[in-house]
Amino acid sequence: MPFNTTRFFVFLALVLVLFYTAPRAWRKYILLAASYYFYASWNAKFIVLLLTLTVIDYTSGLWLERMPPGPRRKAALIFSLAANLGFLGFFKYYNFLAANLALVIARPPRSFFLEIVLPLGISFHTFQSISYVVDVYRGRQRAVRNPVDYALFICFFPQLVAGPIVRARDFFRDLWAWQPPSPDDLSRGVFLIALGLTKKMAFADQFAKVANEYFANLAAHPGALAAWSGVFAFGLQIYFDFSGYTDMAIGMAKLFGFHFPINFRRPYLAGSITDFWRRWHISLSSWLRDYLYIPLGGSRRGPWLTYRNLLLTMLLGGLWHGASWNFLIWGGYHGTLLAIERALRGERPSADEWNWAYLIRAPLTFVLALIGWVFFRAADLPQSVQVLRQMFGGSGGRVLLEPWHFGLAALALILAVGEERSEWFERAIRAPMPVYSSALAAMLLCLEIFGVLDAAIPFIYFQF
Amino acid sequence: MIAVGETRQSARFVWLRRPLCAILAAVAGLLAIDALIFRTGLYTSILEPESSTGLFELVLRREYQAQSSYGRNLIVTLGDSRFAYYPRVANQQTAVTGFAFRSAGVAGTNARAWYYMLRDLDPTRDRYRAIVFGVEDYDDEDGAYDVSDDLSALHYVAARLCLTDVIPFALSFHSPAERWEAFRGSLFKGIVFQRDILAFLSHPAKRVADVKLTNGGYEQWTYGYVETDRNVVGLKVDWPTLTATLPPGNDVLRYQMNCCVLYRPYPQTGQLAAFRRKWFGRLLDRYRGTPTKVVFLRLPRGPSPRPDNLTQKKSSSIREFAARPGVLLVDEHAFDSLERPELFKDAFHLNNAGCSLLSVRMAQEVAKLLR
Repeated sequence: MPFNTTRFFVFLALVLVLFYTAPRAWRKYILLAASYYFYASWNAKFIVLLLTLTVIDYTSGLWLERMPPGPRRKAALIFSLAANLGFLGFFKYYNFLAANLALVIARPPRSFFLEIVLPLGISFHTFQSISYVVDVYRGRQRAVRNPVDYALFICFFPQLVAGPIVRARDFFRDLWAWQPPSPDDLSRGVFLIALGLTKKMAFADQFAKVANEYFANLAAHPGALAAWSGVFAFGLQIYFDFSGYTDMAIGMAKLFGFHFPINFRRPYLAGSITDFWRRWHISLSSWLRDYLYIPLGGSRRGPWLTYRNLLLTMLLGGLWHGASWNFLIWGGYHGTLLAIERALRGERPSADEWNWAYLIRAPLTFVLALIGWVFFRAADLPQSVQVLRQMFGGSGGRVLLEPWHFGLAALALILAVGEERSEWFERAIRAPMPVYSSALAAMLLCLEIFGVLDAAIPFIYFQF
Repeated sequence: MIAVGETRQSARFVWLRRPLCAILAAVAGLLAIDALIFRTGLYTSILEPESSTGLFELVLRREYQAQSSYGRNLIVTLGDSRFAYYPRVANQQTAVTGFAFRSAGVAGTNARAWYYMLRDLDPTRDRYRAIVFGVEDYDDEDGAYDVSDDLSALHYVAARLCLTDVIPFALSFHSPAERWEAFRGSLFKGIVFQRDILAFLSHPAKRVADVKLTNGGYEQWTYGYVETDRNVVGLKVDWPTLTATLPPGNDVLRYQMNCCVLYRPYPQTGQLAAFRRKWFGRLLDRYRGTPTKVVFLRLPRGPSPRPDNLTQKKSSSIREFAARPGVLLVDEHAFDSLERPELFKDAFHLNNAGCSLLSVRMAQEVAKLLR
């Protein structure tokens, strides 16, 4: 039941009606039932997995809070982490490891292969669970007493399949002191849902058609122009796709009285790769920072260990996306760029202000991000190399984008700059009704004219 | 959940007012913009002439303008691409028949599209002496798909649909998915024109030039159009085994024969009969009590028509219509002699010689009925 379907909106409307017409004591049960139904609509079997992880982490949280510091407490933490990472590792990385093991011992690649279906959203809810257990262990989070509350934290449907990765303290703050959404929350929620849907269907899916055409058959589209336009299209697709999904998730949560953290802040306006990662998939970046980079030592142990930590963090960040050498290289590529920037910049904070140098830094950062996307999108390493060869060594070729694609990209750029400099969207949300409605109407018009309605293009991050 | 602050029952949903009003206002705003662009002729005047809607509109405009050039004995014909004839040749018989012929047929259309075409082409129901519908068969034989669920109709008639058509048009489709698509497309026409708009945005100047050129020459091009002389001589069909011997190098014919001629009968559910009764029924109701006659004619079916034992004919809606006043049927076998390989360019369409012969004979047969 993807967010960009009529069926989902019918489901959402029904849940909203049930939620607000039911007595308040029932509401979290309605959300829990709706969330399990939502998850089961993809694959009901994995409800068992979700419940198992929920029980393990809920129980671990209680143990960790009650146990005094010592080896038993640490063992409880390790048990919980092992269970979470064990399931994630099996479902997501088993075949990757098995294929590489087969390669190492010179056996056919599929010797140890298992037909494994990846449970939806496992990467997201696993990270969410880990953050909860670690926070309880660190004493930063009270263990949740009510299993229903914890189950809802793990499976709340707006963010279940592709985030944002919500921290326990934020979620339970909203749940335990629940208040009806304010008029401002509702306006913001509706606006974000419309914005997310527009980003997904009118922008991401239009660019997806071009990117998919290119990556599906490289031989049919030789040349540097074709390669750059295919990669450019994917760069825009993945941003609009994922940030569109996130906007919708945040907007829906607001309608239910929950406040999720922002996940994207116009990343393609970043003036450096460091800045890019402060703007891209913020909930993952901050998770990696808090639960990996800082525990590894962060930047506290000298420059070389800082570079190592950056590289390790990004390698694991890459691997989190999927089990393939391409994701690992993508993570390593970004880790290396972050380390280089860190080396060039030293201890000074990154210069992200808008000045004449920004006019060079921002396009350069965008191009560096695009090069990274080649590894992210290509089917395998040989295809990545083939695309990069075309980008940097291919002859002319044909631009795969139509003029209106560039118009769409220019419109997005204008809106992004307007939001960055003058908070256009924020102003529209707080504006009087006619302006707010006009903004909604403009998005609906954009959906009407540009929305891809005849092809169900899945959200990219649903596969993670 | 802990409720903070109790709200009075009467004011329970007051906080919903702003977002709900905003959504309603936004939808109303979208409808207004959509209507301004797509219901005023603003955009339809620059539709791609070769698109489904563009072609439909072009034919409608051409025939609307042609009405004033002919007298009261004007006959309009409607059909799909199989009803290929030359009005120019048919009109060479005017001195004998007393009638002038014009074609408002559009390739790929059916009775549903013809209803909307005639509704706007003949709003006063008195502009034609007769309306001739060319059909494949007077009997109702269901094919591979349910014709009532053919969404191409939406793309032909999109520009003709008024707000009052939205619900009945959507309900004329059977499956929920098609109904939904027809509903949203006839309400928000930008969805139907999306591909056309994107192509226009890519090359606006070229589009405007193309439209101007087509508008200027369409009447002349189509009235003087001459079909190909190509034929399918050499085509032989062994009906018991459903195999065909084809003239060499004719891939189009091979495809057409395999997909649409050499098949065992499909299960007969009566869907075509229902479709015809609905849409021809609406057309006949429209002309009931007017001086305009409605004429049906069975078109030449192909160079090698399917034999009777391969068809299942449970009903004949067209023959039922003939019982109504003002409805006439051309002799079913009037054009059987045209069903020869030398008069067809492929499995369904007449070639130049075939079109010429059909033009003359059709004019004579229709005139005979009307006199």
